[in-house]
Formats: sequence, structure tokens, C-alpha cells
Amino acid sequence: MDFITEGFFQAFQLLLSGNEETYSAIFATVKVSSLSIALSLLIGIPLGFLLGYFEFSGKRQLRAISDTLLALPTVVVGLFVYAFITYRGPLGDLGLLYTITGIAIAQTVLVVPIVISLTATAIESLDRRLKPTLIALGAQGRQIAFTSLVEARFAVLIAAITAYGRAISEVGISMIIGGNIKWHTRTITTAITLETGKGEFSMGIALGIVLLAFAFIVNYSLAFLRKRSA
Amino acid sequence: MSTGTPLYLLKNISFHYKERFELNIPELSIDSGASIGLIGPNGGGKSTLLRIVGFLLHPQEGEIYYNGEKVTRETDGPRREVTTMLQEPYLLKRSVFDNIAYGLKMRGERQGTRERVYESLEMVGLDPAGFASRSWFELSGGEAQRVSLASRLILKPRVLILDEPTASVDEASGRLIKEAVLQCREKYGTTLLIASHDQIWLNTIASDIRKVSLGRVWESAAGNLIAGPWKSGENGLYLKKLPDGQTIFATKPPEPERQGMIEATDIIISTMPPERVSAQNILNAGIMNMRIEKESGMMVVGLDAGGLQLTSRITQHAARSLGLFPGEKVWVVFKATSIKWS
Repeated sequence: MDFITEGFFQAFQLLLSGNEETYSAIFATVKVSSLSIALSLLIGIPLGFLLGYFEFSGKRQLRAISDTLLALPTVVVGLFVYAFITYRGPLGDLGLLYTITGIAIAQTVLVVPIVISLTATAIESLDRRLKPTLIALGAQGRQIAFTSLVEARFAVLIAAITAYGRAISEVGISMIIGGNIKWHTRTITTAITLETGKGEFSMGIALGIVLLAFAFIVNYSLAFLRKRSA
Repeated sequence: MSTGTPLYLLKNISFHYKERFELNIPELSIDSGASIGLIGPNGGGKSTLLRIVGFLLHPQEGEIYYNGEKVTRETDGPRREVTTMLQEPYLLKRSVFDNIAYGLKMRGERQGTRERVYESLEMVGLDPAGFASRSWFELSGGEAQRVSLASRLILKPRVLILDEPTASVDEASGRLIKEAVLQCREKYGTTLLIASHDQIWLNTIASDIRKVSLGRVWESAAGNLIAGPWKSGENGLYLKKLPDGQTIFATKPPEPERQGMIEATDIIISTMPPERVSAQNILNAGIMNMRIEKESGMMVVGLDAGGLQLTSRITQHAARSLGLFPGEKVWVVFKATSIKWS
């Protein structure tokens, strides 16, 4: 038990002293997950809105595909993206392998289905009185569509936060695409994996605490937004 | 009363929900400036009719003319002259101010928004200083209802359609809603179409009350419904037994279970046993209540004939000369042919 207690003690020392290696992993994580979430929102919100708002043939099939992709294993995404961006792959010339951008792109592939599905659900779950109310108040076409999206904003934010939670905590993609390169592509999750393997619990615990803090903020935000969106 | 084109003209309107319910209106016209109240049982077609005239639903068959112009699914013009408050109003997830200003924003009207929002809040009896900045979830049911009404009043609508505006509010809110609606009519000459189960409340606003039942609009407010089943009787007539054993005679219904309707003006009241009359229906009844219709001045008499609730509409003079009063035993007389089928 002593090594665990000792690990926690040293973890706080690392965090409070501003240990460079620890903070490098934290910053890399924040950078990569922020980039991936920005990309996935740009792609996912419009697609999710279209999927939820309009009726068209093939909608149910598209929805089923999007929902199935929610359970994409991170290593499978990592593998596929690796195949594309490796130096022998069709996008190899872009030099994305072992870069923050490469990880962000792969994470985007991972979380876009989350944003699409949850946004579509948010739109579909809008109060049935909304549309007649907007028409009664004089809104037309695009105004109705835009207001519907604004009305679903809390639920769409829940989609974004859920996606962020998934991106920040994944390890498979960061390991395969990023290569866990110290000072460069090492993220919190890959660092914890490595340090634990080395028996260096203190840094693992320190990074785990940070990850838990992120998870807490994400969940607290979700609970708050769920209350608002009800 | 109309001297020109009616504001609304509905012709051969038909609307049905998966063959479950049908609204059929051969013809209905509404004059500009009218104040029409709709009463009737749940599922009778009031809300569907209001949604059709509010341009929220397009009928599956028939034509609607608004101000002489035929309205199609693509017609946008009149939609902004007409505003509807649904039975359970929905507030947008934003502040009271933004909720009320929404309609103006959609119309691109940005000048004097603050003044108009405040004026609308005052019309519905809400203090602008205390309510404008509140969020949608910080309102009671009655306050939300009034904010919803204010968001319609700010539009200075040509037609204001309200579906059960007092269904879930207390008496004070009901009074404030009534005052706001009357003020709107007075200020903007708004045509009113209001459905309500609260006939006493409705009588204080509407000058013309009509009954919507069985998917039809009945000309008189005080129409009476007589449920089936009907049994074949003598002389080609059909009959229905009342709980106390009295019998009602009618012409042949389309099917035995069909509900019949009789206009209140077709029911004659007598304080003496009628003799030598051609009408087939002479029933013993008791007067349950009496009230005067606001604009017409007619006396509406509520009757209980062997467990069947009926309403008769007579002149005040007739009521006075007969010396009618609640609790009195009377006879009601009407023809078998006065019972109409939907």
C-alpha cells in the first residue's frame, strides 16, 4: 500500500512543482482533444442537424450506421487512419504520422459519429409544439431551422462534451498515430500507460488525477446542461 | 353583418387523422373584426379548426380564402397577419424579453423593440421591470401563459387565435388574459377566434359563440348533442330512451350509433302541458340554469330532461312572459326533424 500512498504524494509534488514532462503531456492532450473536438463539431453538428431535422429516404439506414459507429474501437480507428497516413499510405505525403494533427484527425473520426448521433437525437427530441409556435410567431423556412438548432443548443452541447470526454480519454489512437513521443505526441493516457509499465506510479497518478479532474468537469457540465435542456 | 369579402372563407374543408377523426366544413365564413368563441367536447374538432385557420395545418381537401385570396401551402403573406396560441403554449429557451421580441425579429422589425416588449408585458399584467430579464424556466404556469400571449400581442395581429387560453391558469390569470385580449381587439381591431371549455369566461369576450362537435361547426353556440344508439320505431321514426323512460324521436340516422344534434333555438319551452302540437318530442324537464348571451341578449336556458342535458335559446321577453326561473318544471318541445346528423 505504501507505494500507492507514496505515488499520490509524489504526484501532487509533480503537479505543484510544474514538472515539465508532466505538463507537456497535459498540454499535448488538451491541444489534440481541442483540435479534434473543433473539427468534429464543424462536421458533426451540420450533419446531425440534417439527419434529425429533415425526412428523406434512407434516413433510418444512415441513422443506424451513425449509431453503430458510436461503438468504434479506438484501436480500429487508429489502425485505419494509420493505413491512410503512413508513409506508404495514400495520404503519406502529408506527413501526419506521429504528429498532434494526425492524432486529432483520427480522434475526429472517432468522435464525429457521437456528435452526429447526439445532435440528431437532440433535434428529433425537440418539443412537438416548437414548430407550430415558430410558424405562429411568423418564422419561415431557414428561420425555423435555425431557431430549432438554437433551441437544441443545450443538448448539442451535451453531444460536444460527451465527444470531448471520449477524445480526451482514448489511448489506442494516441498510441498508434502519435507514437507516444516524449515532449511531442505523448498525451496523458499514453504517458500513464508507459509510466505504469515502467513502475513509475507517481507520474501515472499525477496524470490520472488531471484526467479525473477533466472527467469531473465534463460530467458536472453534462449534469448542468441536462437540467437546462429538459 | 358583412358588407364585403369575408376575412376567412372556408369551402368544403376536410381534414382527417389516419381515418380516426374527420373535420368537415361545407362552408364557413368569418368577417373581419369578428369575435368568435368555439365550444364543444374534446375531440370535436376545435383545435384542428383553429390550426387550419391559423395556417398551421393545411386541409387535405377544400379551399381556404383569406381576404379574398386563395391560400395554398406556399402562401406566406397571411401567415404573418395571423397568430395562434396553442393549448399548451411553448416558450423558447431564452429570456422573457427575447421570447416576446422573437416575432418582431423574424419580421425584421428592430425599431422600438424594447418599448413594444414592455407595452406587451403591461397588456398581460406583468411588470416589465420584474419579468423582462427572467428566463423561461423562472415563470409559473399562469405567467408563462401570459408571456406567450404577450409574444402574440406585440405583433399587433389582424387575427388572434387562442386555443384553451385559460385551461391551466388560475382565475386571476384568466381575468388578465381576458383584459389583454379585449385590449388587443380595441387597439388593433383584431379578429378573435377563441376555443374554450369555460363558457362563462368565453361569453365575456366573444360576441358569437359556435359549437364545434363531431367534426362540424354548428351555427349556434347552444347546440345540443344526443348520443345514440337509436332504435327503429313506428312511422319511419327512430327512437332513443332516456334514463327516466321518456322517449326522443328522430328521423333515420346514418347508423344507429350516430350522435344527433339539435339547435338550441329549435327547442321550445312550455310551462303548461302542450296539447295538439305536430312536434313528436314533448319531454318533461327541469330548468337547471339561465344566463343572458352577451351581445345577442338572448336567454340561454339549461334544462335537464330525464337525465339528458339540453339548452334552449329564447328571447328575454319570452323568458319573462313565461316567468321562467331555475328549478321550475317545464315541458320542452321539438320536432323529430330538428335532430340533425353529422
